[in-house]
Amino acid sequence: MTISTFVFKNALRNKRRAVLSVSSVAVSLFLLVTLQVALRELTLPPPSAGAELRVAVRNKISLTNPLPARQRGIIERISGVQAVSPFTWFGGRYKNEEGMSFAQFAMDPVELRPLFGEARMSREGYEKFAADRDACVLGKITAEKYHLKVGDAMRLDSTIYPGSLTFHIAGIYSGTPDDRNMFFRQDYLDESIGTPGYVGMWWLKVKTADDMAPVIKAVNAAFQNTSAEVRAESERNFQLGFISMLGNVKKLIASISTVVVFTLVLVSASTMSMAVRERFRELAVLKALGFRRRELFAFILAESFGLAAAGGLLGIGGAYAIFTFGDVGKMTQGIFVSFEVTPRIMGLAALVAAVLGIVSALAPALSVARMSVVNGLKTLD
Amino acid sequence: MSGAALLLKTISPFAQCRGFRGRMARRQIELFSSGPPSLLYFVAETIVQIRELTKIYAQGEIQVTALDRISLEIAAGEFLALMGPSGSGKSTLLHIIAGVDRPTSGECRVQGVNVTRLNESELADWRNHNVGFIFQTFNLIPVLTAAENVELPLLLTRLGRRERHRQVETALALVGLGDRAKHLPRQLSGGQEQRVAIARALVTDPALIVADEPTGNLDSHSAQEVLAVLQSLRSDAGKTVIMVTHDPKAAAFGTRQIHLEKGELSP
Repeated sequence: MTISTFVFKNALRNKRRAVLSVSSVAVSLFLLVTLQVALRELTLPPPSAGAELRVAVRNKISLTNPLPARQRGIIERISGVQAVSPFTWFGGRYKNEEGMSFAQFAMDPVELRPLFGEARMSREGYEKFAADRDACVLGKITAEKYHLKVGDAMRLDSTIYPGSLTFHIAGIYSGTPDDRNMFFRQDYLDESIGTPGYVGMWWLKVKTADDMAPVIKAVNAAFQNTSAEVRAESERNFQLGFISMLGNVKKLIASISTVVVFTLVLVSASTMSMAVRERFRELAVLKALGFRRRELFAFILAESFGLAAAGGLLGIGGAYAIFTFGDVGKMTQGIFVSFEVTPRIMGLAALVAAVLGIVSALAPALSVARMSVVNGLKTLD
Repeated sequence: MSGAALLLKTISPFAQCRGFRGRMARRQIELFSSGPPSLLYFVAETIVQIRELTKIYAQGEIQVTALDRISLEIAAGEFLALMGPSGSGKSTLLHIIAGVDRPTSGECRVQGVNVTRLNESELADWRNHNVGFIFQTFNLIPVLTAAENVELPLLLTRLGRRERHRQVETALALVGLGDRAKHLPRQLSGGQEQRVAIARALVTDPALIVADEPTGNLDSHSAQEVLAVLQSLRSDAGKTVIMVTHDPKAAAFGTRQIHLEKGELSP
């Protein structure tokens, strides 16, 4: 027998409790990892190839205020601008669903490719999109979710504009960080609602990264002191600004994570205390046989650490396996397209497990250290 | 070879050791080399020397005197039966001799070492090397086999696995349980469990075996077996055995009986 065999046998002496302890740690750490990944995905959307050359232009008053379509000509003339397209949020519901599981934007069909070149779609798709007024292109995730294919019709009821619009799918794209969105033609929207002349936003592409700052400055300056002042910013900054509106969600997730960890510590400490209290007399016997405080402390610590490590391994490993090899889009019903369990998050969870193992061992170890052999032996009778 | 010379020969290799065991061996050699003849005699023949030992327990404002200025000498190789009614202080005396309790005043020397002066860590080390414990309720670890229970005290030594196994086998064979090494405590009878506990007490080859009511939880047949083993430890292995008991029949196995009454030795 070795010391580790002794610790192992002690840890598993009450198998049901050991399994429950490991399970509680595993489930809690799985939850912690999930929350941390969700927080990361919400606050750090995956960078898109080409995003470093794209600029989002919105009404300076608010995102919901439209911009006059006449601004396009002025923007196109700014040096360094390669492509400009309207980008109008439609807010449509598909099949009378309660919420919107994918976004729809009206834009210039010709500028789709120059703007979002990283998207993969057939040449026929682009051509059809440019040719047919009611054409749209759809992200692969949404197409798969609703079993839609090229040529199918889609009817969307707008929550912003009166009435509904029917579209025909010209192409299905993939290869972007978020293959859920739908794009259709601005002119189709203008004609349908009967009030042309306004767009939601402008989305531009600059020629080189060096053009980014001057273009942003020039666009902002171009509409200063007009009836529709704009706020231009890089696509990345626009996304981060959007995310900053999730401030409360971040706090909520952080709070839940803290509660999870704190509860976990309480449960584990209680379990370890119970396990040690049941063995008080045995520990007194070990002391009588010559085991010192530090050796008994090491036994308790090793047992506690072992249970926490086993739980950690299961929880973290399980989260990694599920979120890496599972279909996150399906699992989250399209809310998250990627759900990356990063080494940093795994390290954080492992650290929590390690601290948990140590903290849980402290109280019982201290009580054992303070226990005299005689008092410990008295618990025998 | 005289007993003193034999002891000197035994402890000399340990004088090179670091830590408590080395210090204790060097102290004993010092006693042999420079002490007067009476001291030499004491080291060789008297294993326990107790002087004016008092133990007072404070229970709130009430003070209970468990041991009242007891003086006692126990010779090496004795089988001493400590008798007395409940609360007479016999277990307290046993605990102090075994180094698991401390007296309020007085001195307790075991093999020349004043155990009342050792700190916690030194005392633990000393117990591991010099005292074997046998308890009334056996106190075996239920998840360990008989052999693993016996091996426990050896985990604190520097012995290799093979040497540990050899010593465990010897100890179990000595108590007649060589064929039960793989059995868990629950698979053994009470008498067998107590014999495993005796093997555990023996395995480090301590000079002193202390037994607190070792037959208290056994039927008369098993009690006889256990007492016979303890007796043979004294007669065949030369161990000093100190046993606390209520039972006059068990006490009769001892070479000497001492009665305690209200914390004092009664004549």
